[in-house]
Amino acid sequence: MADVEMKVVDAKEEKKEDKTTTEEKKPVPLTPVAEIKANVALIERAVSTLEPRFIHRVLRSLMHLRKKLDDKVLRDAIQAIYPTDSPAKQSLLPWLPNAPAEESMDVDSTPAASKQPQSEPIPEVEIYLRLLIIHHLLTSAETYAKATKLAHETVDKMQALSRRSMDPIAAKVWYAVERAYELGGELAEARPLFLAAQRTAALRHDDETEASLINRILRSYLQYSLYDQADKLVSKTSFPAAAGNPQHARYHYYLGRIKAVQLNYTAAHTNLQQAIRRAPPAKTAPGFYQAVHKLSIVVELLMGDIPERSLFRHPVLEKALAGYFEIVKAVRNGSLSQFQNTLSNYAAQFEADKTYTLIVRLRQNVIKTGIRRLSLSYSRISLRDICVKLHLDSEEDAEYIVGKAIRDGVIEGRIVHEKGWMECGGQKSGYGPEVSDVFSRRISYCLELHNQSVKAMRYPLNAHRKELAAAEGAREREKELAKEIQEGDLDDEGPDLGEGF
Amino acid sequence: MASSQLGQLYKELQQAFMSGNLQQTGVLLARLKIGLTEAGLLVPFGNPNPQDLVVARDILEVGAFWSIRTKDIPSFDRYFSQLLTFYNDYSSLLPPSPREYPLRGLNLIRLLTQNRIADFHTTLESLPLPADSLTANPYIAHPINLEQWLMEGSYSKVWNAREEAPTEEYKFFVDSLMGTIRNEIASCEEAAYDSLPLKDAATLLFFKSTNDVLAFAKQRGWQVDLGAQKIHFAKKAEDKVEIPKERLIAANLQYARELEQIV
Repeated sequence: MADVEMKVVDAKEEKKEDKTTTEEKKPVPLTPVAEIKANVALIERAVSTLEPRFIHRVLRSLMHLRKKLDDKVLRDAIQAIYPTDSPAKQSLLPWLPNAPAEESMDVDSTPAASKQPQSEPIPEVEIYLRLLIIHHLLTSAETYAKATKLAHETVDKMQALSRRSMDPIAAKVWYAVERAYELGGELAEARPLFLAAQRTAALRHDDETEASLINRILRSYLQYSLYDQADKLVSKTSFPAAAGNPQHARYHYYLGRIKAVQLNYTAAHTNLQQAIRRAPPAKTAPGFYQAVHKLSIVVELLMGDIPERSLFRHPVLEKALAGYFEIVKAVRNGSLSQFQNTLSNYAAQFEADKTYTLIVRLRQNVIKTGIRRLSLSYSRISLRDICVKLHLDSEEDAEYIVGKAIRDGVIEGRIVHEKGWMECGGQKSGYGPEVSDVFSRRISYCLELHNQSVKAMRYPLNAHRKELAAAEGAREREKELAKEIQEGDLDDEGPDLGEGF
Repeated sequence: MASSQLGQLYKELQQAFMSGNLQQTGVLLARLKIGLTEAGLLVPFGNPNPQDLVVARDILEVGAFWSIRTKDIPSFDRYFSQLLTFYNDYSSLLPPSPREYPLRGLNLIRLLTQNRIADFHTTLESLPLPADSLTANPYIAHPINLEQWLMEGSYSKVWNAREEAPTEEYKFFVDSLMGTIRNEIASCEEAAYDSLPLKDAATLLFFKSTNDVLAFAKQRGWQVDLGAQKIHFAKKAEDKVEIPKERLIAANLQYARELEQIV
């Protein structure tokens, strides 16, 4: 069991990285150095043509590339990219441990080193390389402190340069900064830094950095259970709509968590649904997928719904959701004792998932479901029996609980106090004004979905020109045809046409 | 103000608080707060001396307890939010205070009595304790249990819990909870019973004498049949279902417009 748990946790750790990058399968596996060089070329192209799309492509491959990094690869890449005595190179190389002598000999003899580039590459490239180095330093525990230092230096450099073409890379650097602080175990200390940077980003309409930073701050608040502060942050900022899907998914997940704690289950459910929809596929980011589903199941239960069973058979979720499945079973059966047992069995897991307090709130739902089941199966039942069946402490309690259930509209019925029983009334007919409410809710959801998908459609630039040309051609042909027909009147087909009239 | 003078006042405050002299405590508190502000300790900033912080925290804690004893809830609220700085941000610097959890528990109960359930849960989540050991702490377990019982409707347990309050101050809140509970029970009874014998109503509502019930029934507008010793709950007339015409029309027009856009 312990092994499985560990795996899940590991996967969770991984998720954050996995999430941001949809793995890009390259047809020909390049050497890491060549890949970095190709990426550098792409970045330069992006900056010169003002097309951030190329940078996005580079960043998508970040995750993939990161696994292949080592000291030598980075060293070689820096050697190959920078001219021999460039200041940027001097500032980058000290971050990597010195290579043994014979290896540097190898570097010299490689063809890459022989044709040294003459011009200094643009600053974006430097930041990108720094990002790679930070990620590399974060792979081993000894270099965390170094990574934090480098991250700081990089952030200072970024802010000093303040180039808009650097924004997409900057967003990723902020993620690396958070990671460095978190692995160093001092996430709380990074908060003032993030808050200041978030203000700057908001002022500059740097959407990507802002989105990334808002998520960083929210995560740091929630890590320390500062729900009040997180809620205030959410209400005071507006999440940039232009941010990427992974950022949106995270943001919705955090929102869902905050709303769930505040008992606003409907809103929490909506947010979590959004998070699930926007998250990358389950196989790519299993940790995030599991985390969102765990929360979403609890919220669904709190709303009085029972999650679908097929969810628990999903290959990625099956093991992670074992405890939650038991809870769902207990709630469905309305059995308090089963619920309490499950709760104590899986307490450690729920605590680790930070869902324990939410699950404790389910107790009243269990009771309500139990009463509801009884009211459906009996037309009259004594309070004593209710008490026994639901494992309540006393008849007195049962009377109050049933009374509350009737008032809250959970069941239809009356209590006859003198005789000590509950009479269950007939079921409400399923038709009334509320039906139209449900209907309009669903329809508006469908319409919203349609409108959103229309808005989300993307058109390639200038594609309409081609269509215009095609339309132009068609019009030409039509004209010709019309002309021919006119001229054709004189032909022998004319009489045939005439016959029709 | 010299710190020796602060120390003097602090000693006096402790004495006054211990002897239960509420008026004297109040006067001293006001003077001490001015002193703390001048010493920059009321809202600590930077890296003050931990010893001073402990004194400041003690003073505020006394203030919080004093507010409850004088039944001044807004004042308790103020003291408590000031204390949160000491509990959360300086927790690594200061020795834990024995009064921290009683006060946190009191704050939870306060939220409960004011029916701020969402705040209650948010506060609960942000407690620096692992969630599954919350119930092991008597000061925190009490409000948690109360909330659970209130939510599921085990009102008699809430009633009995009055006696189990971990400190004297809890009782103040528990008493004010009773008013809320009675109203809850009454509204449940209106929905769940056709009629109820007067005596049983008294037990259900935790009244000692029938006279109290009669007064309460009058307040809620129940019909009391003194001859048969019964309370009749006025059946709510089957409310006619009105078709919300305007809303339906608006909704239908909306559908039509949207559909037109699609087709």
